[in-house]
Amino acid sequence: MMDDERKTTPSGGSVAAYVGAPLLRVWRGTVDFAAYVVSIVLSFRSLRFIRLRSISATILTQTRFTGIDALPFVIVIAVLVGGVVIIQGMTNLPRFGIEGYFSNLMVIIIARELGPLVTALIVITRSGTAIATEIATQKWSREILALEIAGIDPRLYIVIPRIVAFSLSIFSLIIFFDTAAFLGGYLISLATLYMPVGAFFGNLSQAFSMKDLLATIVKSMMFGVLIPLISYYYGMMPRSKSEIPIYVSRAVSRTLFTIIVLNVLVSALLYFSWLE
Amino acid sequence: MMLRFETHKIIGGIRQGLGRVEYRVGLFVIIPAVVMVFLILVKLGYTLASSTMDVYVKVNSITSLKKGTPVQIKGYRLGRVVDIRPVFKPALHFLATLRISRDIELYEDCAAVITNQNVIGDPVVELRNPETKGFFLREGDVIEGIESGSIEDITAKVNILLTEAAAIMTVYREVSQESRQDIRRLVTGLADSVANVNAIIQNSQKDILDIIGSMRRTSQTLDEVSAEIKKHPMKFLFQGKGEK
Repeated sequence: MMDDERKTTPSGGSVAAYVGAPLLRVWRGTVDFAAYVVSIVLSFRSLRFIRLRSISATILTQTRFTGIDALPFVIVIAVLVGGVVIIQGMTNLPRFGIEGYFSNLMVIIIARELGPLVTALIVITRSGTAIATEIATQKWSREILALEIAGIDPRLYIVIPRIVAFSLSIFSLIIFFDTAAFLGGYLISLATLYMPVGAFFGNLSQAFSMKDLLATIVKSMMFGVLIPLISYYYGMMPRSKSEIPIYVSRAVSRTLFTIIVLNVLVSALLYFSWLE
Repeated sequence: MMLRFETHKIIGGIRQGLGRVEYRVGLFVIIPAVVMVFLILVKLGYTLASSTMDVYVKVNSITSLKKGTPVQIKGYRLGRVVDIRPVFKPALHFLATLRISRDIELYEDCAAVITNQNVIGDPVVELRNPETKGFFLREGDVIEGIESGSIEDITAKVNILLTEAAAIMTVYREVSQESRQDIRRLVTGLADSVANVNAIIQNSQKDILDIIGSMRRTSQTLDEVSAEIKKHPMKFLFQGKGEK
């Protein structure tokens, strides 16, 4: 009876427990992740013992899978996104008499925000899940343990090549995404409005600022480091085969959340006037 | 035969190379890196462009504009028109490409006036900077074209004016022909009236002389009476009464 009452009418202590328990979990998870990142950084000391030839194959394979194989999908998405932005711009900007800022609108929406974010989402859904599943499977089949027994640091051997490959892939994919979105947008805009190719791309290059280029580089590097780190972290979590899908799903959701929050932070730091 | 063999070998080599992951990954990474470096260099102020730049002029008609038309500012030649192409949307207009040198600072709000160098001269695109300086004119910018004082326009306007003048003259001639009879009748009437007035004057001339003679005689009598009154006023008054 007393137990039922406690469940239905929570006292002050149980309310604190409801709020505190998830907060503690987040805190413990953050501390654990920070310790994991520190261990990765510390493992760089052993970098001199690793031959580049031994990790170059992994870098190439990961870049091909994460970047080249995703390229057609990224280009299709980019053309569609560019078309949507152009259609909205063409229908709404003339109402305010600012159709001359077409190129600026494309740079602001596509190059600054959508390009890095959509590319990161594609990479997370394709490659982040693949890493988490691969690591979890390797752990379950004791391949990771075999590496440790052989005296090879798995963090160095598995994570570093993937960080390099993801950084290069995301940077390249963002550039391809932006180019395809601009081209697609331009081609769609020809249906209702004529603008010379030179004028369009001239205005576009003028609309780009150094901040936009810096933001692209910073975001691609940041996403390129974080996606494999978080995916590897959750890939090492499962203690049984049945836990693999749970942690893969958790890896995807946590990576998405982290990427979106960091994207906002970088944009705020770079573009808010009060921070200049 | 040898050349064909070599070409085949080269193409085969390229195909084999592109088939390898290393080449594909290399291209995948190098192309975006080159694009990024190029954009950074452009933003830092470096340019691969020559001393000229292409800008566009939007005009409604290309009656007086053609390829090679000179472009100038205050008489100083900047470049020429290198291309003209029609634009069908949203309404038919034309975009003329001007290849101009970067010698003179031009601003993006400048105007391009298409005019003639003299009365019978060739057309020229005259660029005019705005009074308030804004952003510089850049490669690919579009300028609004203004057509002003072309010979063809002036000729057309003069032609219209002459046609209107001819029409007015025709109307005037028709009106004058119709009223000629009325005017003749009026003039005849006027002549008759003048003759009548003359006859009246001639007829009354003798009567007038008689009247004037009578008036003269009356005045003489009055003079005599007044002289008599002056000399003998009392006698005049009473003599007259007694005689009566």
